[in-house]
Amino acid sequence: MATASARAVGGKKRVLSPSAKKARSRNLRYGIAFIAPFIVLYLIFVLYPVVQAVQMSFYDWDLLGSTKEFIGLGNYERMLWGVNIAWSMTHMFWVRLGLLVVAVLLLFTPVKSKSITAWRVTGVLALVALAFVLGFHPGENGFWNDPDFWVSLKNTLYFTLISTPIIAGLGLIMALALQGGRRGSRLYQMAFFLPYILPVSVVTLIWSYFLSPNQGLLARMLEPFGVDPISWLANPNTAMTAIIITTVWWTVGFNLVLFAAGLQDVDATLYEAASLDGAGRWRKFVSVTLPGIQHVLLLVMVMQVIASFQVFGQVNIMTGGGPGTKTKVLIQHIYQTGFRDFELGYASAISLFLFALMLVVSVIQMKYLGKDNTK
Amino acid sequence: MSTVVSPSRVKTLDAPSVTLEPRRSFRRVSGTAWYHIAMVIAALVWLIPMFWMTSLALTDNEALTKNTTSLIPQDFTLDNFLGVFSVGLTSQWFLNSAIVTLGTTVLTVFLCAMAGYAFAKIDFRGKTIVYASVLAGLMIPKEAMFIPLFTMFADWEMHNTYGALILPRIAAPLGVFLMTQFFSKVPDEVEEAARLDGAGPWRVFFSIMLPLARPSMVALAIFTFVQTWNDYLWPLVSATKAEMFTITTGLASLQGNFAQATELGSLMARGLVGSLPLLIIFVLFQKHLIRGIAMTSGDK
Repeated sequence: MATASARAVGGKKRVLSPSAKKARSRNLRYGIAFIAPFIVLYLIFVLYPVVQAVQMSFYDWDLLGSTKEFIGLGNYERMLWGVNIAWSMTHMFWVRLGLLVVAVLLLFTPVKSKSITAWRVTGVLALVALAFVLGFHPGENGFWNDPDFWVSLKNTLYFTLISTPIIAGLGLIMALALQGGRRGSRLYQMAFFLPYILPVSVVTLIWSYFLSPNQGLLARMLEPFGVDPISWLANPNTAMTAIIITTVWWTVGFNLVLFAAGLQDVDATLYEAASLDGAGRWRKFVSVTLPGIQHVLLLVMVMQVIASFQVFGQVNIMTGGGPGTKTKVLIQHIYQTGFRDFELGYASAISLFLFALMLVVSVIQMKYLGKDNTK
Repeated sequence: MSTVVSPSRVKTLDAPSVTLEPRRSFRRVSGTAWYHIAMVIAALVWLIPMFWMTSLALTDNEALTKNTTSLIPQDFTLDNFLGVFSVGLTSQWFLNSAIVTLGTTVLTVFLCAMAGYAFAKIDFRGKTIVYASVLAGLMIPKEAMFIPLFTMFADWEMHNTYGALILPRIAAPLGVFLMTQFFSKVPDEVEEAARLDGAGPWRVFFSIMLPLARPSMVALAIFTFVQTWNDYLWPLVSATKAEMFTITTGLASLQGNFAQATELGSLMARGLVGSLPLLIIFVLFQKHLIRGIAMTSGDK
């Protein structure tokens, strides 16, 4: 990538001979011919939909009547605003205080060294802005225009915050247990990886019944321990837990593979050196393994967060967002807004909100991982 | 990390040893044995839900109305599996999935290989910016953008067709990224030698580059196959007629149906058959699949 652009820039400065000119136009022709099939589909089915989503989000776009009415930012107001919204210092006080503390911590090193990067400024400003924005809440007799949006956002974030550390942690533990290429470790890896290849509807088929209080195996397995059957999916307190358990079982193998690949890349001589220094197992893990797989760890976290923001299948099949709206997630809200309520314009606005949310995570990924790759 | 059982625990085993040598080997053997026992138990526990599913699929539906909590088929029968293709639309869904998945996989791999070759090996103006815009596509969530895609295919009156299920999935930025990475590692000399023999870019691509890229293409193909077979949201949105369901959306549609609760065995058999292509791929190509996943981390 870098060398290619350097060459192109270098080529521009020189005066081209006729034969070089001919070669250049030949290259351009072939280059276009080779990328055209991909690029055409890419423009139509990947890039253009984003543009169209932006356009649609400014319209009251009804699916059934096919009526379109320009309403400007109306959809965004409906999504993010409400009636009698107030701002107060104390609303979600501890969460917001936490955000501010993180912002101050981020400023700690720059103040010491008296230099700051643009990224850090952006990060600090974003945290402060978030802390400010979270102060808004419905005041007396007030309500959000779309409470379901906030509920599904909250559920999505909750799902992400709980499932990501579990999946990443369990994947790492499994990879560590299989580390070293012992005989049979391939078989164990296959076993742990196997659920990942199942279609989502098969996973939900297994787990809906596995967790079922009457027919399920889990209730039977817990019986000897004196645990009464729990109707996991119908109980508002356990429904999200059930979804998370299902997701962990389904996807942890993917992360196991990433971690296993990462562990292989850790320099073996570092372990030997640590052994010679008399480092114990925990010490080796902290000072050799963890730094060695930092890159993979971040990658797993980011991929997991991005995937979790888009969680849909398990929820839609297992609970349909219920009981009530206890497990409703953002994609499901978009799906229902679009295809149950037939409001495509508003659904597009929520899609773009989700896109923006994921963009923030992707930018973090690009920033840290991109730096590593150019090394 | 080389032994799982800590030395202090091994000591308590109190091996009646005379010399040091046998004792050490005994230690190692028992350590390894403990490791394998622990791992086998963990793996079996992990797969219990799948064993249970298989057991249900092999049990007569009648018997399942009384007891569903056995890991060994109580009233063994193959009827559930035989019924998969004769009762209901499952065979149609299976066929749909096969067509869509094969079409998507072949086209994705081929187009990504072509584009990747051009980005890595042909110097043309504007390449950098085009490639950058393709990489930017990595950040676009394909799950989130289904509303505009839906309107687009509705305008073309193409919903409930194979085209609608295949077309939006072909242009995978990740595939281009992987193939570009691969081709840029191929030394230029390989190509130059062929050029001197008078081969044009097409000849070079088809007769030299594609065969070289086979391992990467296989990895990408398997990854795409699994992803496409398991795709849920877009088929759910686009293919709304029951006979156009894929196996993934079809099986999901059966689960909302409470009548199925009395036919648990045949439902589980359908699930297993629906996963069969993936299970076969997994057994045959797991090395490639795992490599494909490791490749997505961008450093392989």
